[in-house]
Amino acid sequence: MNAVTTAPPEAEETYEQFTVALPPEKVKMETKNLDFYYGKNKTLHGVNLQVLDKGVTAMIGPSGCGKSTLLRVLNRIYALYPGQRADGEVVLDGENILDRKVDVATLRSRVGMVFQKPTPFPMSIYDNVAFGVRLYENLGRADMDARVEEALRGAALWDEVKDKLTTSGLGLSGGQQQRLCVARGIAVKPEILLLDEPASALDPRSTAMLEQTIVQLKKDYTIVIVTHNMGQATRVSDNTAFMYLGRLIEFGPTQELFQSPKAKRTKAYVTGQFG
Amino acid sequence: MSSLKRTLRGGANTAFTGFCWVATIVALTALTAILWSLLLKGVPGLNLDVFTMSTPSTGSRGGLLNAIVGSVIMCGVAMVIAMVVGVLAGTWLAEFGRRSAFAEAVRFLNDILLSAPSVLVGLFVWIILVNPFHGFSALAGSVSLAIIAVPIVVRTTEDVLALQPTALREAGLALGTPYWTTIRTILWKSARSGILTGGLLAFARISGETAPLLFTSLNNQFFSLNITKPMASLPVVIFNFALTPYDDLQRLAWTASLLIAGAVLAINIAARFATREPRRS
Repeated sequence: MNAVTTAPPEAEETYEQFTVALPPEKVKMETKNLDFYYGKNKTLHGVNLQVLDKGVTAMIGPSGCGKSTLLRVLNRIYALYPGQRADGEVVLDGENILDRKVDVATLRSRVGMVFQKPTPFPMSIYDNVAFGVRLYENLGRADMDARVEEALRGAALWDEVKDKLTTSGLGLSGGQQQRLCVARGIAVKPEILLLDEPASALDPRSTAMLEQTIVQLKKDYTIVIVTHNMGQATRVSDNTAFMYLGRLIEFGPTQELFQSPKAKRTKAYVTGQFG
Repeated sequence: MSSLKRTLRGGANTAFTGFCWVATIVALTALTAILWSLLLKGVPGLNLDVFTMSTPSTGSRGGLLNAIVGSVIMCGVAMVIAMVVGVLAGTWLAEFGRRSAFAEAVRFLNDILLSAPSVLVGLFVWIILVNPFHGFSALAGSVSLAIIAVPIVVRTTEDVLALQPTALREAGLALGTPYWTTIRTILWKSARSGILTGGLLAFARISGETAPLLFTSLNNQFFSLNITKPMASLPVVIFNFALTPYDDLQRLAWTASLLIAGAVLAINIAARFATREPRRS
């Protein structure tokens, strides 16, 4: 039981990769030959991912496959840590956002993010939602009220909190806090919303509400979601990317990828043989 | 498990619990004795004069007004300096310096300063502020108290900021908030009660400091609000009066001690209330 078989060096292995190219006009964001390093440790190997405009792109794969890392490159949040580095290109509307000249604050106002655990700010529900808006827009009271309501409705939270907007966001339940974070993310009207396993800390009922929210949101936003839950990927996404050991193994329409996976590893993963 | 082993383990448990009890009782006895004698000798001296009249010479009527006001002013100015410098330095260590060699050096020096003898701080300020300007002043006293308070504030600020979840930091940045704004509007707010506690602890610490004031603010027999001149303070008055042979002045020294102890108690209670987490609805 305890015997450990040493695997051959991974770099020597060849990976069969199958990706379906999207028509160029439907691509909102695209990574080109993206490599990523944690210090000297290379964790992404030449990833080419296309993100569908006004659609949901799911990223699945076993723990440590690099899907969260890839997501964190898309808004350059990794740049907070000095040892982390990305090589290659991430093109958003024709511009390489990895370019040093790109202002990260502006980039992040265009590419929003919701994290695994709810992260409400220590302030009222209203202020949580208005926080990001105040940074970039100077709205009057009435306009701000309308924006906050719109965002909370968009995140399917309005009916639960409309009577207690001035109370602390920390007082909400976990599921409500996560939807508050979604509301906060969409209030600034980003073009893309990145969701990093947004339902992993939620109970089934809250998860279902969040999934409905995601399906609603894709009318207006481009969404990239990292998930451990394959059921969730099939329920909410248009395209799915399967990643393994820092490589994009298979990419295509979600139905196809799950029903007739082309790569052996994808097949093994989606049928539950490993992962 | 053999019964012998069980008996031994039970015995060890009893012995250790007993040892803890004895240690607690020893510590509490000392504390109670101090507080008891403070109350016994301090309370009889409490009257309206203490708060309305300045320090007397022996045999005449007087109180502690000038020393109370002096202590409040000097500690207040010291805390303003210490909070500004300490919170910014602590923030730099936690958010920008992190594990860099320079930050580690600053952290190490700060820890040394944390336990530096306060008399050295007094001498240091005497050299840089009193001697060159040919005069003792309340301002110099405030600076020396601030130097004692800063490392405490730096340490607690860094610690509570480091305790803030990474996700909170990232969530702020992910909205397109510049780092500095994220720190000011989210992290400081989230760490507010911890930072405040550090400030109150530092305040409690400096409110009883005597040595640094002897070299800097000296003392003043009269009521004064001028921070460029010598100023009375409770610790220095205690020091001076306790060394006199006169009963009336010694009594005032006891009363002054009681006032400081009471103030520290009040500050600690205030800290408890200030740091109580807002109730979740």
